[in-house]
Amino acid sequence: MKNRIGFIMKIMVCFMLILPISGCWSRHELNSLSFVVGVGLDKAEKPGEIQLTTQVVKPGELKSSSAKNKSSESGTNAYWNIKKTGYLASEIIKDFSHESSHKLYFPHNQVLIFERKLAEEGMQPYIDTFIRDIETRFNVLVVVSEDRASEVLDVSTGLEKLPAINIAKLVETQKITSESPTVKLIDFIRRLMSKTTAPIAPLIRVTGEGNEKTLEVFGTAVFKHDKLVGELNKRETRGLLWVINEVKGGMINVASSSGDGTVSLEITRAKSKMTPVIQADTILIKIDIKAEGIVNSQSGSENIASPDIVFSLEKKLSAEIGKEIMAALKTARDLNSDIFGFGDSIYWKYPSEWKKLKMKWDEVFPDVEVALNIDTKLRSTGNISAPAVPAKE
Amino acid sequence: MRLEKGIISSSQLMFLVAGYVLGSVLVAAFTNTVTKQYTWLVVLSGLAVSIPLALVYVALTRKFPGKDLVQINRIVYGPYLSKLVSALYIWFFCSIAGFMLAYLSQTIKDYMMPETPLFAICILFTCICAWTVRNGIEVLARTSVIFVMIIIFVILITFFLLLKDMELTNFLPFFDLSLKDFIQGTHIMMTLPFCEIVVFLMLFPYVNKGVETKKSVILGLLIGGGSILIDTVRNTAVLGVASTIMISPSIESVRLIDLAEIITRLEMLVITLLLIAMFIKVSVMYYGTVLGIARLCNLRSYRQLVLPIGSIIVSLSMMTFDSLAQSNDFATRTGPFFTLVFEFSPVITLLVAKIRKLPK
Amino acid sequence: MFRSIHSKLRFWQLANHNGANANHSENSQSNLFDNLNKNLTALKGVFGNSYDLNMREFNFGDQGLTRGAIIFLSGMTDTAIINESIIKPLMYDIRLSSRQETSLLNNMSIIQATLLTVGMVQKASKIDEVVDGCLSGKTILLMDGSKEALVIGTEGWETRGLDEPKTESVVRGPREGFTENLLTNTTLLRRKIKNPNLTLETMKIGERTKTMICVAYLKDLVPPQLIKEIQRRLQRIKTDAILESGYIEQFIEDAPFSIFSTVANSEKPDLVAAKILEGRAAIFVDGTPFVLSVPMVFMESFQSAEDYYSRPYFASVVRLLRLLAFLISITAPAIYVALTTFHQELIPTSLLFTMAASEEGVPFPAMAEALIMGTTFEILREAGVRLPRPIGQAVSIVGALVIGEAAVGAGIIGEPMVIVIALTAICSFVVPSQTDSGTILRLILVILAGAMGGFGIGVGLMGTFIHLASLRSFGTPYLSPFAPLSTQDLKDTFIRAPIWAMFTRPRTIGWHDPERQEFRLKPSRPTEEDKS
Repeated sequence: MKNRIGFIMKIMVCFMLILPISGCWSRHELNSLSFVVGVGLDKAEKPGEIQLTTQVVKPGELKSSSAKNKSSESGTNAYWNIKKTGYLASEIIKDFSHESSHKLYFPHNQVLIFERKLAEEGMQPYIDTFIRDIETRFNVLVVVSEDRASEVLDVSTGLEKLPAINIAKLVETQKITSESPTVKLIDFIRRLMSKTTAPIAPLIRVTGEGNEKTLEVFGTAVFKHDKLVGELNKRETRGLLWVINEVKGGMINVASSSGDGTVSLEITRAKSKMTPVIQADTILIKIDIKAEGIVNSQSGSENIASPDIVFSLEKKLSAEIGKEIMAALKTARDLNSDIFGFGDSIYWKYPSEWKKLKMKWDEVFPDVEVALNIDTKLRSTGNISAPAVPAKE
Repeated sequence: MRLEKGIISSSQLMFLVAGYVLGSVLVAAFTNTVTKQYTWLVVLSGLAVSIPLALVYVALTRKFPGKDLVQINRIVYGPYLSKLVSALYIWFFCSIAGFMLAYLSQTIKDYMMPETPLFAICILFTCICAWTVRNGIEVLARTSVIFVMIIIFVILITFFLLLKDMELTNFLPFFDLSLKDFIQGTHIMMTLPFCEIVVFLMLFPYVNKGVETKKSVILGLLIGGGSILIDTVRNTAVLGVASTIMISPSIESVRLIDLAEIITRLEMLVITLLLIAMFIKVSVMYYGTVLGIARLCNLRSYRQLVLPIGSIIVSLSMMTFDSLAQSNDFATRTGPFFTLVFEFSPVITLLVAKIRKLPK
Repeated sequence: MFRSIHSKLRFWQLANHNGANANHSENSQSNLFDNLNKNLTALKGVFGNSYDLNMREFNFGDQGLTRGAIIFLSGMTDTAIINESIIKPLMYDIRLSSRQETSLLNNMSIIQATLLTVGMVQKASKIDEVVDGCLSGKTILLMDGSKEALVIGTEGWETRGLDEPKTESVVRGPREGFTENLLTNTTLLRRKIKNPNLTLETMKIGERTKTMICVAYLKDLVPPQLIKEIQRRLQRIKTDAILESGYIEQFIEDAPFSIFSTVANSEKPDLVAAKILEGRAAIFVDGTPFVLSVPMVFMESFQSAEDYYSRPYFASVVRLLRLLAFLISITAPAIYVALTTFHQELIPTSLLFTMAASEEGVPFPAMAEALIMGTTFEILREAGVRLPRPIGQAVSIVGALVIGEAAVGAGIIGEPMVIVIALTAICSFVVPSQTDSGTILRLILVILAGAMGGFGIGVGLMGTFIHLASLRSFGTPYLSPFAPLSTQDLKDTFIRAPIWAMFTRPRTIGWHDPERQEFRLKPSRPTEEDKS
């Protein structure tokens, strides 16, 4: 009995000794962390150096500034942009502790912005830290900006208090028009790791002057391996998205069949499939696209609710889609970068042939032929069938 | 002479085997570096190859009912050689327990608490394992029943939550795997998750109905293997080619779950899973070591050995590998051969027993 | 060395003291005397000068020559019975009988057999028995010239009437609760189970209190080993006083150092009757309305009698709610501490900013906040129980409002923490039988979470599971029906299967007689055969 008591006493003393000695190593109180919501990388003046901008949230201001608009120019922003220059992203991140009183905390980062000039030199050395570091997550959005990333991160808008969250939501909203892709870091990595498929990223720029600055997402940045080589405009981007099955919405204008104005068709659903066919010495890629749409508006006055007219509208729509795809294809061929993933689809179907092809893919790619097969259906004409004009007799 | 007064039923044995196999559900991911996107194939083939080995273990224990591995060795190999063989087995169990603990503490340190020294995590975890082992096999079996149900539930939930992010093209092309890689992958899969059930040869004498052991073991293997398959399929489907460069693809794929902004950031689930599964594995290995030493030295009870062996396992886990790179390298290259020796020798034992017509 | 000498000395001292006590009790084993005066003097010596001890001497018998006396403690006895059934026949009715019969009256046996119109009469010949009987509320009849005394059962004292149990109120179901009287309690049980197999065994435990304990079980349902084990454990209790069933519980439980109790208790007769009908045994203790039942399994704390009186869907939802509430009550503060201190990446972004904003000016770390708020809540709860009822409600409302609001306003505690603690508090009352273990578990988990974050919580919960898995209650594993998995019993755990689906008793408890009811009792529309 007394042995037991002695034993228990010894254990308790050991535990009590441990508590003051150990401390909790990984403990970070909420008010000792600064939450990074946006990261931007720019070229710095010195060659080889980059400037890293991180946008850090001030949570107290977030709550209290709900009543204020962006008309307040005084520094009661809910965020704080810190900038530093250095050679590698990782050392700059650690360097921030010289200026910020709190440790930077990355898991809530929403967006990674790369300046275009930096992307043209190659992203691999800078993007590796965001993949390898355990704090950063893979569903961060990757964006390329025409202007300097630090400026982009400074544009505050009327809807959101934090510019980085605004950018993230802006990129996500592109699904309405499908004229810009939504690229998460994991998608970017997947394309980076592929030998043939080229990475893409949405392009963003600052428009307006002074207090009226806004952001605009326009088009796609096309890379080859990790260097930026060109861009696709909005229409070409949609063509690209048709092929890679990422179109979720959009508006296409076709001329009305009786020549009386234009009809706007809204895409509601789209699905695409790529099938490679290797014949003798040519490679053919068959692209099947099925799209559904509804009539959104009509500037003429004819009654488009008859099946013939709908049928002709569908054919016009298919033709438009085909034009968009061909435009994208032309730009891709000019830039010689396989943004569609033709190489991968050949690999999936013909692995043995692929081994020979992948060495000379750069020469083969521009000669790849594409056969389109587009099938559209217009399911409804909206609220009304004939337009609101006096009926024709 | 029984070292342990507890008895477990055959259904509890099934859950124990399933939990043990599931202990490697996250560890099995390092075959991704070898087999790229065909890991699921290799899981199936590994399972297929390990079922006959499991049947050999069951046959061995049926031949010598009520006797555990050390005693069987003694009968088959004679008094002197058997001591060497049993000692080697005990060392094997102990070192595998140390490796698993090392992997667990390294992963937890990386993903959850980067500044915590490995020591603290190892000690806390080993305390729990030591407590369980000290309480005996009944407690181990009962906890494993509940934990296995939790683990399978979590695996299924994460699978369904990630259905919308899966792309079947990540599995194509079919069978573009070189034979050498396939065999290496099967070898790794067979030895590391599946055939480590050789430690159950120490636990079979405590199952109440010996005739149902075969069914329980095979079912347990299938349940465990099926869950590993689901997990691997999910990882490959979601991450695609990127899963080959990741250290821990299960955690990364669960990080991508993002449903309606609410069901998001669920990697806690996976890490808890890892904790629970690894707990069962380390406890069973720990228990096998302790029982083995007690039997080898003819002790009456194993309880006094629990704490010392625990401290040895903690030290082993911290000393063996200097870095995760080294442990991954070991696991893909040297480990399979090392473990194959121990997992294959019961076959030799069975043959020798048959030849010598034992037990008389 | 000094410690061992000291402990040996203490032991020797205690042993001698017990011996002295034994000697002392030897004296009172002596028998009654022949002489009435000597008896009365001896009894007065034992009882001292208690004011409620009544000794009534009277003459009866052959021409009023035999002297006799009755001794009783007023307040413990029913004076009507004494007057009508003891004194009246002896003093009065004798005069109506013939002379011959009266001469036979020198024999106690004849008095017992013919004159006393009371239900329970026993003979006693030792002073000890007489004293015991008197102290239990019985009346002692002494006669000059007889070495035997008659112990007559005349108990009657003030008891609380049948009332709704204060700790277990139900919406639907009987509202009777046990009282402090053992006979009333066992009667309530008998009214529920009108079966001759219902065995009630009594014994007296406690040297000075001599409390009556009654073990109730169904003879053909309960495995005999269980009863033997209960009796063995009850008989080894040699203590001074048993004041409440909690004393018995702490003497017979399986794991005295565990935070979970392995003996269940209840105040409602229908609950205890249901437990007996499943194959358990109940232990009644005189003087308390709380009745123990063994063996206990963990899921019992989540089952209430009311579950079975409602229909299955709602009862299943309520069961799941209870389990969820219990889980929340033990893990909520710990999870909050772990998430905000270690794993901020697991909180959704917008929620994180709101929480960070609330915690901005707070001086304490999250774990300290959790401990402070937890302690404050426990103090409030305890004070709420002890306060007199008129003041109680006002003070607790004011306390909660003041402490909560003012603390948040002053910036001492963050608002999310107050919400978490309030939620925890409410959830902890959903499962009343586990509030004590829940509080301690919560504390341990918060400390572990503050030290090691999510890993600490995981380790803590696993440790709890392992501990639960290693507990047994009188031979039954504590985690049945999960741990030795028995699928047929799972229909009464997370969900509550309809009454007509529960054909068997729980496997680990009622294995002696597993069949409870027939199959095919599900109600359905009348078929052709029924109609004819």
